[in-house]
Amino acid sequence: MPDFDADDNKLTLKVVFYGPALSGKTTNLMQLHSLLNPQRKGELMVLETRDDRTLFFDMLPIGLRGDSGLDLRLKLYTVPGQVQHDSTRKAVLSRADGVVFVADSQLSQQDNNATAFGNLEENLEKVGLDIDTLPMVVQFNKRDIPGVADEQDLQTRWASTPWAPLIMASALQGKGVIDTFKLLLDRLYTIINGEYHLERQHGINRQTFIEGLSASHGERYAHL
Amino acid sequence: MRTFEDDPALEDLLSPEQKERLDRLLSDLCTEPVRLSAQRSEGSVPVEFNLETIGWLTGGSREERQAAANLIGFIMMFVAKYRLAANLHHDTTEASYAELQRQNEALKASEARYRELSEQLQDKVDEQVRVIQKSQQELYESARLRSVGQLAAGVAHEINNPIGFISSNLRVARDYLEDLREMVPASPTNQELLDDFEDLLTESMDGTTRVAGIVSDLKTFSSIDQADYSICNINELLQSAVHLVQTEYHHNLKITERLDELPPVTGHPSRLSQTFFNLLDNAAQALRDSDRDPANGRILVQSRIDGARIQVIIQDNGCGIAEADQARIFDAFFTTRPVGSGTGLGLTVARDTVRAHQGNLEIESRPGTGTRVTLTLPMHGGQEP
Repeated sequence: MPDFDADDNKLTLKVVFYGPALSGKTTNLMQLHSLLNPQRKGELMVLETRDDRTLFFDMLPIGLRGDSGLDLRLKLYTVPGQVQHDSTRKAVLSRADGVVFVADSQLSQQDNNATAFGNLEENLEKVGLDIDTLPMVVQFNKRDIPGVADEQDLQTRWASTPWAPLIMASALQGKGVIDTFKLLLDRLYTIINGEYHLERQHGINRQTFIEGLSASHGERYAHL
Repeated sequence: MRTFEDDPALEDLLSPEQKERLDRLLSDLCTEPVRLSAQRSEGSVPVEFNLETIGWLTGGSREERQAAANLIGFIMMFVAKYRLAANLHHDTTEASYAELQRQNEALKASEARYRELSEQLQDKVDEQVRVIQKSQQELYESARLRSVGQLAAGVAHEINNPIGFISSNLRVARDYLEDLREMVPASPTNQELLDDFEDLLTESMDGTTRVAGIVSDLKTFSSIDQADYSICNINELLQSAVHLVQTEYHHNLKITERLDELPPVTGHPSRLSQTFFNLLDNAAQALRDSDRDPANGRILVQSRIDGARIQVIIQDNGCGIAEADQARIFDAFFTTRPVGSGTGLGLTVARDTVRAHQGNLEIESRPGTGTRVTLTLPMHGGQEP
């Protein structure tokens, strides 16, 4: 849930990158860190890894100021994908405002995707969140690897879910990462604007929200 | 930090000692001392970490101040990383512990539930075992009673007729003896022979009377002529049981009967007879097993009215019941007698019979002194005929 501090006029939102082990959650975050050029951007904190596997979480804070002086912060987290770190996953997932589910496109990983998605559903319920109303984007990563699951098949399979359309990505090459993030911001804005009147009280409309937080180098958006 | 994800304040990241030390280390690098503070002051520059201003720096030259602020921001990232990881670890450990405790509680509850179930199961098994033991015992008893009854009926039938004509023949023979006295010459030898002959006949007639009495007792005991529940006279049943025991012990027992006038009660005569017999038989055996001179052994059979109830007391001054055995005397198949001489059912059947008549059986005993059995029956039998 969003953390609004009226004294500081500060609104902190939390987005969690979830998914099976080795699906590229940290890679997504690292790419966002290097590709994004939002109004405000903090350091990417890669907390602790063992053999390049996330043990705790990674975190990237970015921010935006509204006309009212609103200090809007977005904290992007990854969870450890390995099965044994479930309690950490649950702790990071709690109070999330949005989720990016990073799936692995390789055919051999489809079972792991399903297991991780089930785990997400389960943990959301445990931390008191509803998967049907939580803003969420599903990304199929590793499109650069040959012989991955067919995009059309995947889109058809997910067409009737609230998470269609899926975003195809190759995080290592930086492809689809910002698209994923933008789609999430779009879905997140609907919910947050409804609750905090971003547009009416703080002068942050949908476009400002999305562009301000997802601007990349070289395409810094016009009206700032 | 309240949870691991809250933005840390300066005091969350550095203890006062650590902050002092950082100030000193930075001051060594600068021309003028620098100082880090959580509050903003004149000429201070903000120290930022992850979009958050965590403190303000004063002192040094303007360039030094900014450079030191950037350095602190960089250092803070590593401090915060450690704090974040430690706090997350703490949070998850606490959550896991809480979860473990919850599971432990659930396990305990389920264990308690299963233990309760298993205890109930044991109770049910025990109850079934009791039912089976009881019906087994009843079966055994009824078979025994039936066979005794059949035997008694057969004996009564077979003996009644011959004993009838033997006793009538003996009477006729004695009449003939009178005739013979007149016919034979009166010599001392003849006189002695005839007197002896008369004595023999008289003794034989006494014998047949006793045989007839035993047959009659047997009939009462086996209740061949009676339905299951009928009106019975407790005193008559007691007397016939006494006679049967006397027969069994060759009329050597000193049994005192003190029987009050009793109203007839509804009951199962043959089972009551069996009960009285069992109790008397126990008393007789207690006398036999006593250290006392057999001549001093006494059995007192008493019957009386006590309010709305009838009391039968059978008391002996025999060996008594050992204290260790007293708790078990009503247990089925418990016996102190040598193998083959007791079934261990006597008192069990006695108590069951009395209970079936809505009555009560109490035994008081002192080892070496004697035993007193008090049997109480309601005046109006426990079961309708």
